[in-house]
Amino acid sequence: MSSTVTRVNGKAPAESAPEQVPMLPPPVWVDDNPSLRQITDDIARPLEVRPGTGWWICFGLAVAALINLGGMVAYLVAKGIGIWGLNNSVGWAFAITNFVFWIGIGHAGTLISAILLLFRQQWRTSINRSAEAMTIFAVMCAGIFPAIHVGRPWLVYFIFPYFPNQRGPLWVNFRSPLVWDVFAISTYFTISLVFWYLGMIPDLATLRDRAAGGIKKFVFNVLSLGWSGSHRTWSRYEIVSLVLAGLATPLVLSVHSIVSMDFATSLLPGWHTTIFPPYFVAGAIYSGFGMVLTLLIITRYTMNLQRYITVRHLDKMAKVTMLTGMIVSYAYLTEFFAAWYGGNLYERYHFVNRATGPYAWCFYLMVLCNVITPQLLWFKKIRNSVALLFVVSILVNIGMWFERFVIIVVSLHRAFLPSGWGMFYPTIYDIGILVGSFGLFFTCFLLFIRYLPMIAMWEIKGVVGLGAHKMALSSQEQEEPVNA
Amino acid sequence: MSDSGVRGDGAPCKGAKHQLVQIQAPEPPVYWKSVAELHGAPRSSGEFPGGIPPASQPGTTRRDFLSLMGFTLAAAGLAGCRAPVQNAIPLLVGSDQLIPGVSDWYATTCRGCAASCSLLVKQRDGRPIKIEGNAESSIFGGGTCATGQATVLSLYDDERLRGPLWQGQSASWEEVDRHILESLQAAQASGRSIALLSGTITSPSTRAIISAWQARYPHFVHVEYDPTSLSAVRAANKESFGLAVVPHYAFDKARVIVALEADFLGIWLSPVEFARQYATARRPESTPSLHVQFESGLSVSGSNADLHLAVAPSELGLVAAALLARVVRKTGHVEPSLANDPLDSRKLDAVAEELWKHRGESLVISGSNDVAVQIVVNALNATLGNIGKTIDLAHPSLQRNGNDAAMLELVEKMDRGEVHALLMLGVNPAYDYHDPARFLSGLEKVALSVSFSDRRDETSSRVHAVCPDHHFLEAWGDAEPVTSHFSLAQPLIAPLFNTRHAQESLLKWLGHEPADYYTYLREFWQKNIFSRQQEVHDFQSFWDRSLQDGLVTAPPSHVPAEPGFHGNWKAAVASILEDQGQHQQTGLAEHYELALYESVAMRDGRHANNPWLLELPDPISKVTWGNYAAIAPAAAAKLKLADGDVIRLKTETGQIELPVLVQPGQHPRTISVALGYGRSKVGRAGQNVGVNAYPLVRVKDGHRQLNASEVTIEKTGRSEKLATTQTHFSMEGRPIVLETSLDELHQGRESNAEPALPTLWAARPEGEHAWGMAIDMNACTGCSACVVACQAENNVPVVGKGQIERIRIMHWIRLDRYYSGPEDDPVAVHQPMMCQHCQNAPCETVCPVLATTTSSEGLNQQVYNRCIGTRYCANNCPYKVRRFNWYNYTDNPQFDFNMESPLGRMVLNPDVAVRSRGVMEKCSMCVQRIQLAKNVALQGKRELADGDIQTACQQACPTQAIVFGDLKDPNSRVSQLQHSRRRYRVLDELGTRPNVSYLKKVRNPVKTT
Repeated sequence: MSSTVTRVNGKAPAESAPEQVPMLPPPVWVDDNPSLRQITDDIARPLEVRPGTGWWICFGLAVAALINLGGMVAYLVAKGIGIWGLNNSVGWAFAITNFVFWIGIGHAGTLISAILLLFRQQWRTSINRSAEAMTIFAVMCAGIFPAIHVGRPWLVYFIFPYFPNQRGPLWVNFRSPLVWDVFAISTYFTISLVFWYLGMIPDLATLRDRAAGGIKKFVFNVLSLGWSGSHRTWSRYEIVSLVLAGLATPLVLSVHSIVSMDFATSLLPGWHTTIFPPYFVAGAIYSGFGMVLTLLIITRYTMNLQRYITVRHLDKMAKVTMLTGMIVSYAYLTEFFAAWYGGNLYERYHFVNRATGPYAWCFYLMVLCNVITPQLLWFKKIRNSVALLFVVSILVNIGMWFERFVIIVVSLHRAFLPSGWGMFYPTIYDIGILVGSFGLFFTCFLLFIRYLPMIAMWEIKGVVGLGAHKMALSSQEQEEPVNA
Repeated sequence: MSDSGVRGDGAPCKGAKHQLVQIQAPEPPVYWKSVAELHGAPRSSGEFPGGIPPASQPGTTRRDFLSLMGFTLAAAGLAGCRAPVQNAIPLLVGSDQLIPGVSDWYATTCRGCAASCSLLVKQRDGRPIKIEGNAESSIFGGGTCATGQATVLSLYDDERLRGPLWQGQSASWEEVDRHILESLQAAQASGRSIALLSGTITSPSTRAIISAWQARYPHFVHVEYDPTSLSAVRAANKESFGLAVVPHYAFDKARVIVALEADFLGIWLSPVEFARQYATARRPESTPSLHVQFESGLSVSGSNADLHLAVAPSELGLVAAALLARVVRKTGHVEPSLANDPLDSRKLDAVAEELWKHRGESLVISGSNDVAVQIVVNALNATLGNIGKTIDLAHPSLQRNGNDAAMLELVEKMDRGEVHALLMLGVNPAYDYHDPARFLSGLEKVALSVSFSDRRDETSSRVHAVCPDHHFLEAWGDAEPVTSHFSLAQPLIAPLFNTRHAQESLLKWLGHEPADYYTYLREFWQKNIFSRQQEVHDFQSFWDRSLQDGLVTAPPSHVPAEPGFHGNWKAAVASILEDQGQHQQTGLAEHYELALYESVAMRDGRHANNPWLLELPDPISKVTWGNYAAIAPAAAAKLKLADGDVIRLKTETGQIELPVLVQPGQHPRTISVALGYGRSKVGRAGQNVGVNAYPLVRVKDGHRQLNASEVTIEKTGRSEKLATTQTHFSMEGRPIVLETSLDELHQGRESNAEPALPTLWAARPEGEHAWGMAIDMNACTGCSACVVACQAENNVPVVGKGQIERIRIMHWIRLDRYYSGPEDDPVAVHQPMMCQHCQNAPCETVCPVLATTTSSEGLNQQVYNRCIGTRYCANNCPYKVRRFNWYNYTDNPQFDFNMESPLGRMVLNPDVAVRSRGVMEKCSMCVQRIQLAKNVALQGKRELADGDIQTACQQACPTQAIVFGDLKDPNSRVSQLQHSRRRYRVLDELGTRPNVSYLKKVRNPVKTT
């Protein structure tokens, strides 16, 4: 990994494989073919210089929103959740919408870092670090909602199967999907955090070596766990990465499946449906990629990383977004079909109401963002236009937030007995806490890109130059034997 | 402990004999520590009896300084540790018969309205906390109404006066008595009259006191005044039968009931009694009576009628005349000629046919205060031979004695300065008189005005003396609601404040000795009621028994013969036609009429500061906290009005502005407005809630008319939100309230064969009992007594208008009301809905912390201490009966209702936990009552019997629509009802297996061919 040899793009070294048949040049994932030193310098630069105005503006906004979150949550805990717009008919609204939204966001990170690693997708190397960071921060944002949305947040620990149990036969109810959520999300957060941290160790060692001294050196020294860069270390490191990727892969599917069971296992028309687990997973990946696109488009500008996060990366992500968006659209269609074909009075009414009731505008906004918008990505021009992609990614985020809102609020506001029907209108606290959660997310993310390497230096070095060629070769060998 | 005002003889009462708890402690005893202190030495007091050594004295050593410093430091910290102030109710003299935690029940008589129902009141640890009907009453039964249930809260109203007032300032009783006596002597000397203005007085002893006044003061007048009076009924009966009385009606004996603008199930005359009678006559398993309601709005009665016909108030007389004409034609006599029918002739034909078919067992009533209409109604009843059968004129009701003409005359006299002294008992004319300015100007000319009001209200804030009467739960009293049916009232608690029986005040000012009302009452009963019976020969035992039972039915002192009808109905019809002619001249189709009515919650407005009643949804519109202009959907469309648009209603007598409510079933040209709202001086809760519609009352021929035939509607452009507890009124074709027809039921076509749905859940361990409930939707009238009863029993908080607008009402039982059929002529159904106590409860599986579980006896239990408030259970409850504490509703200034004040919290039931913020709550099927009954049975070493346990809603229900019991006991009433052909369970197809089942509503439409 310490090699400094640079090579011309696309040309294999003559001595390495003279007898091989000609093959396509390996894909180029880093522009301008920088030297390995250059890569380290480029990626470590944001950590070593004062950030630019763009960063400061974003950070200021994010911190303001975070302070707002703190204040509003404090008021919420002091006064009670009556300050929200919830009512007897609609017991869950913004908080749970936000929770599902943020959990969903996280999924792209895990997909990129685990599943794409197992599939040896080289384009992941530029984006996996920040996507994983996004996962961590999104799960953090998600985690605050179940805690603050309960009536008595100071007793929220009741939901954990705490030991020793001093409460006699009263423990948690393992039949409740909310308990499953606790397990699913805590597992997810733990694995994601470990995976993210482990992935950073070689880079932390690089930063340690670059640090002049003082606290910085000390901190990176501790964090890099004495990384030496020996072959043995690397070999074990790769294995651990693969094992962790294997562990994280089922989580991509399981976490949102379990979250979806909060709804699917209930009786409510609009919630009570078996399609939810795959539908939610697809939705999660769709929204996650939307968020990754948003974040990376912002960061590649503010941090001058266009060389590493190229339009080709954005193109790949746009394709995933389009695919998952179409799965989500298909799920929407299936829901309506099942409601019609199933003939259940309540379910049928629910779906008619979804499309024609008082919240129909939310439904149509959702359709616009999640069904129509991904279709734009068929066009290469749009996929390669950063500005348009940014718009699309924002629409995806909005659409997926509204999808959860439609599922939760529209189902609740008109359930079985018409006497119990009622409308939900958000209050300033509902909206403020939603905005505040973005504040928390962006504060964490902006600090991350300022203090930690936001691109995996050691991984990206493997896909430039010789590394790229080798990587291409090795994957080809495995997938299909070259010499037939 | 002072005994004044409390039962002096330790008379036996239900449960125990003991002294009542005195809330106000007398002067504390003076303690002394030494003989020297006792004999005049200066008492050492304060925290430092020896004084603090001054720190700056020259002899202060370093040690002194340090010890002082240390003390100061410690004291500064300790100063924050003040013992919390607790307002306990001290029982200064204990009683071996008062067991803490054990309730006693005392019989008394309700004074919530003049119907004077017999009550049994629960007293717990010295506080009355729950009102029930006295099941031994042959008139009223064990049911109550919403108002009656809520009266217990009025006892603990912070706004009640703490003592008498003279010229608006607190004064002592002696002072007030002196002023009043002086003034009364002056009145006697001047020869100007002394007037007692009261509401209907059903108390015979009070009437005797008033007679004594009449004897004592030659210029004394007594005027009975009801804001919503039946004075035309009395006048018409005087003319028709020679008896100026309100008859006693028997709805149970009527096979056909025709009501003309009389909501006898909701508010009219004696609703608890009538609802009870009505339900007994309408059991679908036998032959139910037929009920036809002609009215302008949609009342509780109208929503239960088999045929509801919307008529404008001005057409009411025509309807009566048209029915009379048809009935008279059937007798073969010459009918009065009527130009045209006010509504579909075929319907009138059918109604007349039914009436004729059931001659002698039909009943026509009218709430109209127009003498002509009432004479026609009398003629109808007389022609049908109902007098003496369903209408008892020999034993008349004494529940509405108000005489509008006398009141008008009194105000005139006051205005002319002929009244020297005016005593006002249970009235508030400054609020409810149709011309309050005139009344007040008259009041200013009165030399002495006295009010017995319990608070500074619109009238009592402008009088010379306020001599607050006891709340009836603190007072002795008696009543004779129906001739010869007497009941007694006894105090449940020593007076909370320095109040006095109004009767005692009257006796005192009369110079009667002793002025003590209790003694007077006993003597009165000895003389007048004891003497009329032969069963008991010793007065003390008679008194004890009467007090314990609460009621005595004496043989009537004289039985007059049933009078014959000799009224001039032809003249009455002519007068009706003439009136109608005038209306036709004023332009017919486009003009709107106004109908004023008493609402079930607010009645005439006297309970306007009762937060339970303010928050009680109207049985029909489901609107809380305020009144509105009910307008028909067609009219709303024509005038382009929607719910909440504020309109200005102008009549010849006045104008008011209030929001619109589009009311299905409303007469298209009539706007209905509830009275009783818009009190300007009543207390924090009820102040300026809604709009006062009394100024729109008009007077015709000396009778107050609760309608106006000419009203103009102006839009104000403003909009107000109506706090409605139910926003969607259609069942959307869902099988929620099931109906069957009488024919189908009797032909047995209605089958009860429900296939048992399979379940994946394992069978639960079964306990000794399986509690269940059956609710007969055919018996439920929607009167809403159960809602307030549940609120009182289960400490359900009041949340206020703002929270109800946000759909956060806390009531554990709600009455769902659905409409079906066309918008202008809908059929309404009431469905009591509370926790269904599902055996496979959807709420239970989703709770992450096991805060809701199903007991082995089939109760779905909510464990408040365990609940963290995820609200998942409420989301998953198909019946939406779970209620979340969005805020802390107790001791929270944001919710300044009864649970905010220490006094108001005295009404709380100690057996039921007050829920904190952030927990879910719901109907517990009165688990505290179940537990109590079990304990009692256990102590008595007997099995629980069916009927030992009554839930609060069940007990309050005047029609016995709710039956609770053990489903495991095959002989229990609830088990028997499971076999009813009408039985079903709501949303049973979801597999929830509720323990609450419903009996279908039976429709018996009037055939109009």
